[in-house]
Amino acid sequence: MADRRLMAKSALGAARLNLGRATALQRFLPLAVSLAVLLGTWEIVVWYFDVKVFVLPAPSAIAAEVVDRWPILQKAVLATLNEALTGFALGIAIGLLLAMVLVLTPPLEAALMPVLVAINCVPVVAYTPLALIWLGIGPASKIAMVVIAVSFVILLNTLQGLKRPEEGQINLMRSFGASRLRIMWTLRLPAAMPSLVNGMRVGIVRAMIIAIVSEMLGAYRGIGWIIFQATQQVNFLQVWAAIAVSSVASMVLYLLLVWVDRKVVWWK
Amino acid sequence: MRPQPGSPWRAVALPLGTILGMAVAWEVVARGADISAHIFPPLSVVLAEGWRVGPTLARSVLRTFIETGLGFILGAAFGILCGVAFALVRPLERALFPLFVVSQTIPVVAFGALVIIWFGNTILSKVVIAFYLTFFPVTVNTHSGMLAVDPQKIELMRAFGASASQIFWKLRFPAALPTIAVALRLGVSLSLIGAIVGEWFGDTVGLGVMLIQAMYTESVPRLWALIITCGLLGASLYAVIAVIERRVVWWRTDA
Repeated sequence: MADRRLMAKSALGAARLNLGRATALQRFLPLAVSLAVLLGTWEIVVWYFDVKVFVLPAPSAIAAEVVDRWPILQKAVLATLNEALTGFALGIAIGLLLAMVLVLTPPLEAALMPVLVAINCVPVVAYTPLALIWLGIGPASKIAMVVIAVSFVILLNTLQGLKRPEEGQINLMRSFGASRLRIMWTLRLPAAMPSLVNGMRVGIVRAMIIAIVSEMLGAYRGIGWIIFQATQQVNFLQVWAAIAVSSVASMVLYLLLVWVDRKVVWWK
Repeated sequence: MRPQPGSPWRAVALPLGTILGMAVAWEVVARGADISAHIFPPLSVVLAEGWRVGPTLARSVLRTFIETGLGFILGAAFGILCGVAFALVRPLERALFPLFVVSQTIPVVAFGALVIIWFGNTILSKVVIAFYLTFFPVTVNTHSGMLAVDPQKIELMRAFGASASQIFWKLRFPAALPTIAVALRLGVSLSLIGAIVGEWFGDTVGLGVMLIQAMYTESVPRLWALIITCGLLGASLYAVIAVIERRVVWWRTDA
């Protein structure tokens, strides 16, 4: 479990180093150039070797497909976003609350932690069929899956953050008569904010992916459903179009979170 | 969750006790409460079901294990290579690292069907999916671990006339290993997810296949048996990596 938070820390720390000390242009220029080179090579290779659409369609064909099918894709991506974001919000609330309760009552933490670690050992996708049987193939099962995935990331990250204040600081507050709740509110929670935000960054991308995976196993709508249908109909251009739309959506969410992080978490 | 020094027995007893307690609670609640076995079967029913399909289950575990292992080893090797290259050659990092980040927003399952077309409906396509999920965290951590080396130490070695390869093998790489090990532990869990998901797209053996079949037949006891099996496999893989790590990276300060 420690590795997840460290992983999150170092991965996002690296991202932050890159993002923090550069102007917008410096930040996005390498990305833009490498993307352009990649797409250009891809286009030329497909055109030159006359690659079949079902093997690899050209970027221009995918873009045309996205434009063509925009009404359907838009509805699907909104449905998926709706599930992912609802699950994300609920997952943060549950993870944060559980972390606070566990820190406030150490015996409970000692008893529950092994259980949580055991649950966390199961690859999250293994729960998907069960969620579909229990909650049906509507949005509820997808939201539940996202909640499981996100709340764990948040719980593990926050737990570590809440425990960061030193014993001395806590004892000082206690000797001045501060209650546990007050220590939690004024000392522990602010100290946990950076780890919480790190957890959110990992969680947001995971939320989208889990929502799509769950939709592929059974749904009425959403990007995963479109991908599943298109696969069944051997319409790979549409698969690519759906992948493109969902990737752009997750990237936008991630960047939004980075932006909010920098505007809101001023104490870092 | 490192065990407290001086109480190794407690460190084992407490989780074990909790898990036993959980098992009993599961059995009692499922039998006592008025919930249909179709929704929440008692643990004994789940274990019996697991026992009944034992041979198939064993073959599936073996298959999924091989896919996970191959994907993990390839992904880890590729990730370490890329991380080292990014850390040593800055222009490469500037050009490719953003693409690596972008690649991770792509839901790999969406590619499942395509991967099958590209690599055939063989074990290779599952390995590729496991690989795809593994290499990124390893790349990121290798990269950041290599960059986190104290520049003064590098200067010192250079001042004593160490060559670039000596600096790499004696300082940079060992210093990055604890961080890499963290990513390897995460990577092995992701590999397992990749292998399971990869099997959804058409195969006959494997835990992913069994999950899908159990879902279509709505056999909840079997689903639970599979969930427990997946958890055990995930935990053992994790433990293997952790043990190897403790042997190899004995000098780790707390990474």
